[in-house]
Amino acid sequence: MSNSVAGGSAISGAAPNAFHLSRADLLRAGIAVAIFLALIVGAYALHDTPGQGARASFSLLTGVALGIVFERGRFCFFCIFRDFIEFRNSGPLYAVLTALAVGGIGYAIVFGAFLPNAGSGRLPPDAHIGPVSWVLVVAGAAFGLGMALSGACISGHLYRLGEGYLRAPIALLGSLIGFAAGFYTWQTVYLAAISRAPVAWLPATFGYGGALVIHLLLLGLLAVLLLRFVPPLAAGEGGRLTLARLYEATFRKRWNPLVTGGLVGLIGVFAYFRVQPLGVTSQLSSLTRTVLENNGLLAGRLNGLDTFAGCAAVVVETITENGWLISGLVLGSLAVAVLAGRFELSTLTVRNSITALLGGILMGWGSMLALGCTVGTLLSGISAFAVSGWIFGFAVFAGVWLGIRLRLNA
Amino acid sequence: MQLQRPLFAVLLILSLIATMAFAGVAAAQELPEALVTADWLEENLDNPDIRVIEVSVVPGVYERGHIPGAVNFVWHTDFVDTVTRDIVSAERFQELARAAGINDDTTVILYGDNNNWFAAWGAWIFKLYGFDDVRLLDGGRVKWEADGRPLSTSVETYPEGNLTVSEANEALRARRDEVLSIVEGETPGTLIDIRSAAEYNGEIFAPEGVPELSVRAGHIPGALNVPWGQNVKEDGTFKSVDELRALYADLGIDGSTPLVTYCRIGERAALTWFVLSQLLGYDVALYDGSWTEWGNTVGVPIVNPAGTVWGGQ
Repeated sequence: MSNSVAGGSAISGAAPNAFHLSRADLLRAGIAVAIFLALIVGAYALHDTPGQGARASFSLLTGVALGIVFERGRFCFFCIFRDFIEFRNSGPLYAVLTALAVGGIGYAIVFGAFLPNAGSGRLPPDAHIGPVSWVLVVAGAAFGLGMALSGACISGHLYRLGEGYLRAPIALLGSLIGFAAGFYTWQTVYLAAISRAPVAWLPATFGYGGALVIHLLLLGLLAVLLLRFVPPLAAGEGGRLTLARLYEATFRKRWNPLVTGGLVGLIGVFAYFRVQPLGVTSQLSSLTRTVLENNGLLAGRLNGLDTFAGCAAVVVETITENGWLISGLVLGSLAVAVLAGRFELSTLTVRNSITALLGGILMGWGSMLALGCTVGTLLSGISAFAVSGWIFGFAVFAGVWLGIRLRLNA
Repeated sequence: MQLQRPLFAVLLILSLIATMAFAGVAAAQELPEALVTADWLEENLDNPDIRVIEVSVVPGVYERGHIPGAVNFVWHTDFVDTVTRDIVSAERFQELARAAGINDDTTVILYGDNNNWFAAWGAWIFKLYGFDDVRLLDGGRVKWEADGRPLSTSVETYPEGNLTVSEANEALRARRDEVLSIVEGETPGTLIDIRSAAEYNGEIFAPEGVPELSVRAGHIPGALNVPWGQNVKEDGTFKSVDELRALYADLGIDGSTPLVTYCRIGERAALTWFVLSQLLGYDVALYDGSWTEWGNTVGVPIVNPAGTVWGGQ
């Protein structure tokens, strides 16, 4: 597994040929193993807990897998977009394209079993296929600005929390405020646009085969257009693949974007097949909705919200499957970050705390109205051939671009 | 006599075998005809004369794993008419049943989530349209899963069936005016409200999290409150016929008068309809309009012990 393909880590340097672990390495490995063991025990316990069961357990493990892949591959939408916008480096973007390509193929396979007739007028169960209207553009742009302000998207903050990024909890707190703002905006926006918006799904028109061809052609076209922004590749390393080099490539260096993307795509397909499409905001927004409603601050009925599939908020009294997923994500990332020596508490300033909070608010608001974030609406939506995913994705990119141009991330 | 001994022995053994076989059949037949056990179903999944249908209402439940060979019927669109607030039309139902490969002589076995509520509704529809051999999987989906039995994600297709539906048998269905005539004492009958005691007493308008409401709370005058959960054991399977008969007899329900069951939208009441008609053999109709129709109807009386008034004091 060479690390020097398109967009790989900029850090190069010959890997040690002798496999040697220092005391610090062993300590880190010990901590990582302890976290993984705790997670496995937790998954077993969840499986046998009444009211939780296999779905909760599977969700926790899915989260762990995502945390590992996100951290090892730095699958942070903001960082990926910024590398391209600011540094003209499109390498990391290939992780997103690969995730969508693999995800699309996998979703097509699963859809074929879930809903054999794509043209029946029905939609596949729970897939993140949202209403298409100007709301997606506004929400996506706000989300993108929030990413630039706070330094990551919501899933990015979750995995970077595991790396000791202290702005993450502040941004996540902000997102809760943003969700609340989203609920108050929802009724108006729903009546103004969403209630009449078409829920556009490519296979309904083109069939699964046709939709997949369009999907892969679009991604392929983007991949070709972005090729000239891939930085020069490092010289081939050659030699034998030793244990030391394998360890270095797996646990220390940033994973190749193609590997990262492929794994993210696969995890997304498995999650949809077994439990529900990947998303990271549903537990957080549900928590907000429940707190507001229990305190009489929000109407019990949010018109139409409960009729859309997506990371929509519901009133919950317990930890949902999505809650286990994001818990696993943070802890999985923590384990591999410690192992790689990448766990480091970041410095907080008044300024970067305020921008994290404001960015979080914008992201919460945007993802509430878009029924999901860069994971739920962009990744799971586009993989499911939803037009809403593409629109949201481009709007987020535009928001990030604007944010960087305005130097919001400085 | 010497010669007859072996013959006698053979006869004895044969009769023993026959007794054991009969006992085996008797054991298998302990359940009423209208129910099948998970064990029986698992052994008979390859039988071409049965068709298993899942009626679950949580999205994605059927798709992520169903009893191998089962066909999916969607309650919200396949068993009801969304435009007329009515049951599915005869033509559409026949079309769906034929597409599921159901013939006139097929044995249809229904199961679903939510303790078979919607599956019981399905059984009611099959009966209403004159299809006789329809049964429920005892314990439904929850029991099947709890037993760790196999599930499949592949969707089978079957050759078109030849089921021919008959006119809807209105005797199985109670309309609002018929219920009113029972309330006013013009027709004999007993109403059974299968909702929770809190709904029956008017303390709440609907179960928590349910948006479809009635502007009044309470129950239909004269209705007895027998919450649906009393029909089943903890694992979701039905209580024995004797227990069920005793349960209803204690409330004065012994099948001597026509019965009408209702709930909020008619789905939970279908379960009690199934118990009373298919397991106990009583004369019972389902009032599918239920409380969302009655509680909202102008000019019909209610009883509301809690005295709650919609929207305020």
